[in-house]
Amino acid sequence: MASADKTINTDVPEKDVFAIHFLQSLSNLRTQNLFNSPDTTNYRVRKIKKAAYVSMARAAGGTSRLWSRALLRRATKGNNKIVRFPRKKRKVTWKISSKRRRSDQRAPVVEEAAERLRNLVPGGGGMETSKLMEETAHYIKCLSMQVKVMQCLVDGLSPK
Amino acid sequence: MNGAIEADLLLDYNTDMSVLERQRAHLKYLNPGFDSPLAGFFSDSSMINGGVIDGFLGTDGLNLPMIYGQTTVEGDPRLSISPETMIGTGNFKKRKFDTETKDCDGKKKKILMMNREDEVEEEDEKSKLTEQNNGSTKSIKKMKNKAKKEENSYSNDSSKVTIQKTDYIHVRARRGQATDSHSIAERVRREKISERMKFLQDLVPGCDKITGKAGMLDEIINYVQSLQRQIEFLSMKLAVVNPRPDFDMDDIFAKEVASTPMTVVPSPEMVNSGYSHEMVNSGYSNEMVSSGYLHFNPMQQVDTTSSDPLSSCFNNGQAPSMWDSHVQNLYGSLGV
Repeated sequence: MASADKTINTDVPEKDVFAIHFLQSLSNLRTQNLFNSPDTTNYRVRKIKKAAYVSMARAAGGTSRLWSRALLRRATKGNNKIVRFPRKKRKVTWKISSKRRRSDQRAPVVEEAAERLRNLVPGGGGMETSKLMEETAHYIKCLSMQVKVMQCLVDGLSPK
Repeated sequence: MNGAIEADLLLDYNTDMSVLERQRAHLKYLNPGFDSPLAGFFSDSSMINGGVIDGFLGTDGLNLPMIYGQTTVEGDPRLSISPETMIGTGNFKKRKFDTETKDCDGKKKKILMMNREDEVEEEDEKSKLTEQNNGSTKSIKKMKNKAKKEENSYSNDSSKVTIQKTDYIHVRARRGQATDSHSIAERVRREKISERMKFLQDLVPGCDKITGKAGMLDEIINYVQSLQRQIEFLSMKLAVVNPRPDFDMDDIFAKEVASTPMTVVPSPEMVNSGYSHEMVNSGYSNEMVSSGYLHFNPMQQVDTTSSDPLSSCFNNGQAPSMWDSHVQNLYGSLGV
């Protein structure tokens, strides 16, 4: 066991990458002329939030991570002109579910927390617990990066 | 429950070092006067033993019982010294051993010790400790002799694994452990999970004070939730703040180069660090108030000086070299 563990790779691109993606998505939004009527605030908020997540997923590596792939898939449910998903051989699903069933016997403390985590992290439903934790680590890094970018933007744009 | 926690802690400690490192540490045991790799380990395990080491070592002047005392602390579950040979403070270890075998049956991966009866038998001065010392030194010698062999096999395995991804990771069962494949695979899986938990522990702030998998996982879940909530609030803020329609690009560049970087307001720090429930509530109220205030003036004019902090807060003092063209385009599109 000692040898075969490669170090977990959770490298996340710099803040600039996230910022560029986010600003691009925002400018796309603005060209849609949403910002004229102030009573559609909720709609605007939802759009901006979705744009934030999608740009974060893009900046974080597109379809190369499980969570970003699931996020993008969820976001472009009907109309997929944004992202191209690679054709991967899907594992037979019954295998995954049988793994999950067995995992209920393994340290139920860990597994119930893992269940809550699966609901939070996009794409967590089909992952084993160890894989889930890897994805969570990368997801946390990307989320914090995105939060920093958005905070900077808000601070810069807010009136003094 | 306590036993389970204890065993859980032991699990974490034992997976601190990989099997290889443990072997190397054992090699160094034989050199007297060595204690550095163990120091950290003892500070952890002394928590459990609560001074057992001190009591044990204080009575002996011999180096070997000291080694024994040390090994039993961390090596106890692995060297599987039979409980009935323990003495005095050993009953503490015995209890630990029992809880461990009870709770973690087949859960720890051990190196299978081959019986080499022809190995060195050391003579001891203290008769009481003879049996245990023999057992421990025998096992130490075995590990030492097997160390090289294990290293080779492990390196072979690693090279095999890197070449062929479909190859299996060869794992040996430890002495005294169930050797069926299920428990071994279970153990491998456990170690993977603990390793990743440690990684997450470094990532999430404030997690180093919490021991135990459940608490840490709760913290991680809270952290992820708080990050997602922050994004939601920031997007709300962004929705109500409108940039000024016309940006003067030359003006922006002149000011961007000349201006000093704006420090990020402490509020993100407050929100970031206080992701526990109480703090988040106070962070919420701040966000609500400010966004509510902003909502009253949705179309207010933002003067050009605000665009300087925008660019400078992204750059944060770095030279805006690669940014120039991007920023230019984006500011232009934002103004539309």
